[in-house]
Amino acid sequence: MARDLAIDLGTANTLVYMKGRGIVLNEPSVIAVNRKSGEVLATGHEAWDMIGRTPSYIVAVRPLRGGAITDFDITERMIRLLLQRVGVSRFTRPKVVICVPSAITEVERRAVTDATRRAGASDAQLIEQPMAAAIGANLPIDEPVGNMIIDIGGGTSETAVISLGGVVALEAVRVGSFDIDATIQSYVRREHGVAIGERTAEEIKIHIGSAEPSAQDQSADIRGRDLVSGLPKTVRLTAEEVRFAIEEPVAAIVLSVKRCLSKAPPELAQDFISRGIYLVGGGGMLRGLADRISRETSVPVLMSSQPLEAVVLGAGHCIENYQSLRGMFMGSRR
Amino acid sequence: MIALGILPVIFGLCAAICGVVLLVLIFLDFRKTRIDDGISAFHRHIDALSPQARRDSIVRNDNDSNRGQYR
Repeated sequence: MARDLAIDLGTANTLVYMKGRGIVLNEPSVIAVNRKSGEVLATGHEAWDMIGRTPSYIVAVRPLRGGAITDFDITERMIRLLLQRVGVSRFTRPKVVICVPSAITEVERRAVTDATRRAGASDAQLIEQPMAAAIGANLPIDEPVGNMIIDIGGGTSETAVISLGGVVALEAVRVGSFDIDATIQSYVRREHGVAIGERTAEEIKIHIGSAEPSAQDQSADIRGRDLVSGLPKTVRLTAEEVRFAIEEPVAAIVLSVKRCLSKAPPELAQDFISRGIYLVGGGGMLRGLADRISRETSVPVLMSSQPLEAVVLGAGHCIENYQSLRGMFMGSRR
Repeated sequence: MIALGILPVIFGLCAAICGVVLLVLIFLDFRKTRIDDGISAFHRHIDALSPQARRDSIVRNDNDSNRGQYR
């Protein structure tokens, strides 16, 4: 008998929670495919190492962009491989709960559930990421108080106000940490005339990227390809430059948080000042982002203890209490 | 003779009224059950989200992931 699963099918990483066992898999949402034969060559960490370093007949891709499936066939194969790796076979078909951004369309929802069913699930239910994140971050969402959570993922940023087990206000934008990486790439290309890959851009963001000036601001030497000569070139990038480069996506995220605050009922709004806003997701780990949101909203912002795992833990709790929490699944509200 | 002829009509009318009353009572009881179902389902939902209910699935994993067990 297969154990039921919860999957956080993120743009950046995929995490799998198995009922009764906890998190059993955590790896990048990347798949490497042989273009000639159509065979899958690698997934997860192995495929991630191949990004930008493959011969022309191998393509290492992220099948999700902005939280939505961009390549249905590849996504289905990736989910099938994930299920196989956690022990699901042709004869054991588990129930699966999948976390998706609240902003996805009806067509995108159907694409996710169809891909999961075809990959071997007996039943596929969807749950909104901010709701799963709030459960996983252990916020007191069973009480009649305002709980605000910001989930900044690879492709989307979602802010939700939750009270009494339901979403009261929600704001989502298709801007995430990959957009931050992309702005760094285009800045270095435009201002320094050097082309860098998405992995280098991510490393720049992690090491010297920030949303607010701080005493720890540093510089870094970046290696890339000179656009004029075509030769390798090293340039020095400062933290201030990176902050300037990423201002647009950061401002869009902060604006969506403000919009969600303005949608919240006044009775709940006062709770945020005393309880604070919780930040989850890999994008939320950008240095100074919590301070920036706090400064612009005048509300304290706290980092969750498990920013990367909160969503899948929340979905895992739903799979552990499947019958009681059925009402939380996206299809059940239609 | 006329009085005897009316009796079946009266009995039929009584039976029809009793039937309607019974149906109304069944409907009201069914409606009450549905309201009770809503209340109990909501309580189950809220109870499943309580910190006690989440202790097993989330706090246990919090400790596990801090130790890096799943990686």
